[in-house]
Amino acid sequence: MRLSASAIALVVGLLVNPGAQASEPPQRWVSAGGALSEWVTALGGESKLVGVDTTSQHPESLKALPSIGYQRQLSAEGILSLRPQVLVGTEEMGPPPVLAQIRNAGVQVEMFSAQPDLPSLNGNLQHLGKLLGDETKARELFAGYEQALVQQKNWVAKARSTQKAPGVLLLIGHAGGKPLIAGKDTAGDWVLRQAGGHNLATHSGYKPFSVESLAGLSPDVLVFADRALTGDAARAALFKENPIVASTPAAKNGRVFELDPTLLVGGLGPRLPQSLVHLSSGFYPPQAKPSP
Amino acid sequence: MTSLVKPKTLFVGLSLLCVLATWLSLALGPVSLPLLDTLKAALRLVGVPIEAQGLEQAELILGQIRLPRTLLGLAVGGVLALSGVAMQGLFRNPLADPGLVGVSSGAALGAAIAIVGGSLLGGLPDALGPYLLSLCAFLGGLGVTALVYRLGRHNGQTNVATMLLAGIALTALAGSAVGLFTYLADDATLRTLAFWNLGSLNGASYSRLWPLLLVSAGVALWLPRRAKALNALLLGESEANHLGIDVERLKRELVFCTALGVGAAVAAAGMIGFVGLVVPHLVRLLAGPDHRVLLPASVLAGASLLLFADLVARLALAPAELPIGIVTAFIGAPFFLYLLLRGRA
Repeated sequence: MRLSASAIALVVGLLVNPGAQASEPPQRWVSAGGALSEWVTALGGESKLVGVDTTSQHPESLKALPSIGYQRQLSAEGILSLRPQVLVGTEEMGPPPVLAQIRNAGVQVEMFSAQPDLPSLNGNLQHLGKLLGDETKARELFAGYEQALVQQKNWVAKARSTQKAPGVLLLIGHAGGKPLIAGKDTAGDWVLRQAGGHNLATHSGYKPFSVESLAGLSPDVLVFADRALTGDAARAALFKENPIVASTPAAKNGRVFELDPTLLVGGLGPRLPQSLVHLSSGFYPPQAKPSP
Repeated sequence: MTSLVKPKTLFVGLSLLCVLATWLSLALGPVSLPLLDTLKAALRLVGVPIEAQGLEQAELILGQIRLPRTLLGLAVGGVLALSGVAMQGLFRNPLADPGLVGVSSGAALGAAIAIVGGSLLGGLPDALGPYLLSLCAFLGGLGVTALVYRLGRHNGQTNVATMLLAGIALTALAGSAVGLFTYLADDATLRTLAFWNLGSLNGASYSRLWPLLLVSAGVALWLPRRAKALNALLLGESEANHLGIDVERLKRELVFCTALGVGAAVAAAGMIGFVGLVVPHLVRLLAGPDHRVLLPASVLAGASLLLFADLVARLALAPAELPIGIVTAFIGAPFFLYLLLRGRA
């Protein structure tokens, strides 16, 4: 692929005057970060994406774009070959020397927060809105998101007045095998608490568990996030690979729920409120579903 | 073992191969540059005054991305292959690999400490941050190798067999320590650690390049001077001693050069397997076991092999890229098996 003269002129222009792009929103985007790519899409910027990283799996159409590899292991020349004007990613993006090379080539590199909390999301959305030239839409999206989470919180609070918070464990596995349990300080823990569950795991980070301690914790509810399988296939694999799981109260009462593992990567994504509603209706069964 | 190729032919061939690999490494990449632009930009980089008009893109890609990367590949490949020869000479065993004296596992431990410990400590001085990983890997490799060497010494003599066993024990020990850090690591640091263990020439920059270039130039100039001593050592330690070689000094030098060279290579590019094992074999197959040929030829062959592997790494999945450790082991492992099955290993 030969670089067109206009692209060269553009790169040169950016080199000479790094502030030049401020007036005109960038038209060629590369996004490294699952949640971020979803937000770019939600803000109507999908047509501007010319490449995404391997964590950008939603919406489905993004998989057709050239893959720039894993967000922590980016390649400077690979990204430059897509002739982007801006590279967006979370602070997980790297390695730093590659980012420096990309910056030196005149590509705007914009860092976003991967923290799973509302202030970070607000900052991210405003930043994206400014880059895409649609700040109104970004504000609207955030307001809607905030409202959904507030509603969710109220619903959980109401449910809690009549029911005890269930003891929950989140298992993350690959086709059921050797699942890791989400402990404190993880996005998984945040999701469980937000959905009104009480995370029984007390360690920090994602750790493999001993079968005995899992049985000892006797969780009321199990949530599983499987990277390879979905739905009933993932559930069956989980029970098959870990027979002890079948003997927990959660399995006996049929309270084993699924969570999309891509929700746990790269900060708050647009699909999260919907998943929370789904989870908390499983955590507090007799209650009416919250209005979306 | 007779040689298939005359040394002179071999050197000419390998030099041409190395030049070809260097040129391809500069000329090919995910960004397609017109050949003429690449040539002009390359000439400008070496100081030929050519009109810069329209060359900005080519000069940037060549000067800031491909040239440091190519130099890194040359240095890492050369020094790894050279260390392989040194180790195979020291242990008088063609299956020896720089990992045997603990330098790789020590570097891995240092890296694990830096990656996991660095994120636990958090508040490091900014100036140190980017170099912490390389520094720890280098010191880890040097430290464990020094310990292996020390354990192999008894009454002023270095027992190579003891050193070998001590190397195996310390490699296992370092391995489980890395395992412990892996367990302690969070998701993010775990991925960093995993990728570091596969090695990459990605993101090479001049500031990280100079220490490695100095070290590998030093090692590449020093070791070939000891070729005759290494040849004598092939006969056996006491035989070499009777031939007037200071065997203890030779062993010390070999271990030191390996620790320094592999330590610096690993610090700059992560773990890259099989170059140290396979390249000396290849050269030995072609030209026989004479270290006067083996040492310099291995430098050229190692550098060329790594550059070709890097080309695969950066082009196969463009615009993403493969860790180079995957590519070298992919070539290296089947070759190693072939040698084993041929019954001459």
